[in-house]
Amino acid sequence: MIPASPATEAAGSSPGVAVTPGRAVDAGPRRAPGGLPVRGEAPIALAGVTKLYRGGGGVRELTLEVGWGEVFGFLGPNGAGKTTTIRLLLDLIRPQRGAVRLFGLDARRDAAAIHRRLGYLPGDLALYERLSARETFAHFARLRGGPDEATVERWASEFDLDLDRPVRALSRGNRQKVGLVAALMNEPDLLVLDELTIGLDPLVQRTVHRRLREAAASGRTVFLSSHVLSEVAEVADRVGLIKDGRLVAIERVAEIRARAVHAVEVRVGATAGLAGLAGLEGVTVRERVDDGLRLEVVGSLQPLLAALAGLDVVDLSVHEPSLEDVFLSYYDGVAR
Amino acid sequence: MFARALREERRGLIGWSVGIATYCVAMLSVFPTIHGNRAFAKIFEAYPEVFRKLFNVADFTTGPGYLGAEIFSVIAPMLLALFAILWGSDLAAGEEDRGTIDLLLANPVSRRRVVLEKWSALAVGTVGLGAVLELTLGVLGPLFSLSVGWAGLSAAVIGSAAFALAFATLALAVGASSGKRGLARGVATALAVASYLLSALAPLVSAFQRVAWLSLWDQALGHQPLTTGLRVGNLGVLAVVVVALLAVSLWGYDRRDLTT
Repeated sequence: MIPASPATEAAGSSPGVAVTPGRAVDAGPRRAPGGLPVRGEAPIALAGVTKLYRGGGGVRELTLEVGWGEVFGFLGPNGAGKTTTIRLLLDLIRPQRGAVRLFGLDARRDAAAIHRRLGYLPGDLALYERLSARETFAHFARLRGGPDEATVERWASEFDLDLDRPVRALSRGNRQKVGLVAALMNEPDLLVLDELTIGLDPLVQRTVHRRLREAAASGRTVFLSSHVLSEVAEVADRVGLIKDGRLVAIERVAEIRARAVHAVEVRVGATAGLAGLAGLEGVTVRERVDDGLRLEVVGSLQPLLAALAGLDVVDLSVHEPSLEDVFLSYYDGVAR
Repeated sequence: MFARALREERRGLIGWSVGIATYCVAMLSVFPTIHGNRAFAKIFEAYPEVFRKLFNVADFTTGPGYLGAEIFSVIAPMLLALFAILWGSDLAAGEEDRGTIDLLLANPVSRRRVVLEKWSALAVGTVGLGAVLELTLGVLGPLFSLSVGWAGLSAAVIGSAAFALAFATLALAVGASSGKRGLARGVATALAVASYLLSALAPLVSAFQRVAWLSLWDQALGHQPLTTGLRVGNLGVLAVVVVALLAVSLWGYDRRDLTT
């Protein structure tokens, strides 16, 4: 477990991403020759941020850094402080204590410069009901200086979105697409997506996930919140868990997966050799059945599979518990 | 944002324009039966002084006198103000209420720019509605044998628009500082009416007379601009009030947490 304390990951640590070291980030969205955003200070850096509401809720002493090229999943039950954190990033609300910095700039003082490089999908998405998607995008494109109409058309066709119907006539899923395209269309250096998948069908979700992975692969950063781990685990490199306004854990998704205990049931034609499985690394025998074993495997399945190769395997079933269970059960103690 | 704000309000603008123009035409169409009619003049002369002051009926049978009593005594300035207050209360608080402000401010625009551009649209819209009022009366008036000098008419329209803009900016300031549209609407409307009453009752109530200058209505329209023309000093007072309220709006909006 990595403790939830400052800057657990160095900026730009994702594999296969070229890093332009040590250059100061200025206000404009400059790009290096390869199309990668110019690196510099972390796209997101929260230091000791506290924002409490009179009626309860909010976040306490939040410290978190998200690096370039990273997809960060921000996880927690409803009301834990996810949206509060995101609205702090967007300068829609201001912290009582602590510093909110994006690209090394102050969230409040440099809001306009930051927003030029940022795409945002609100969790509680409200759109201009009387406008069509096309008019909505045109409105924002004028304020942002892009993209052009053709680019908007491309995004719309990718998401199968009707640009010309007024937004109020659109279904939940299509409204969400409008919000998504508005966030994605400028290919910003930082994407902040609050409850991304609300109302989206699985096909569209896949498209979005692909786009997010592409963004990260090209060195951009994605910050997405969700109340279900499985949703973010598919794309996120790291996840942070927030509970009652406190960040209780930050962990790499790969490590969570590695900790997952697989329930394996193997049935064989001849039981000879089964005893040898008990001695394998990470393998525990739970139960013997007539013609096989029920096992629990921690970490990689490789040693078990290699051993099984020499046996007369009739049937093999592997159940992976939900990452949710793995992650949450692990941190249950911490969180309470 | 400026253009967007005007476009959003275009239906309202057209509706109010048609409404105001229709009202003006209706009032104008009555004028020929009053114009130069001694009987009417006598009726009003017989009215008590108090009544004549209250309803601004000085010389009902002349063009400026008729307009002063029927159009500019209450109705036209109040219609303009009502329109502008409704819009002004919605400027900042409306998008917050509907939740669209989150997306708007995610763009590289400062909160100040949002308020300034929208306020500019409001100012243009209010002046535009004033122009409709002026053109309807100035152009159609002669068709109903009502002649009124453009200078006096313009002075009255400018006074009305300035009054409307002042209270619309008050509505903006309250809405921007609180995020509450209803509160903004209520405060601005109540004070606009109070301002009118203070000015209208001042000639009758000596206590009001001393503080009538406090009334923006009195500043804008108290001097009967239809006959006395533009008073730059009074407009200056209104301009200072508008700028101060706009500053309050910017400050109040910038410092606040926006609600979801």
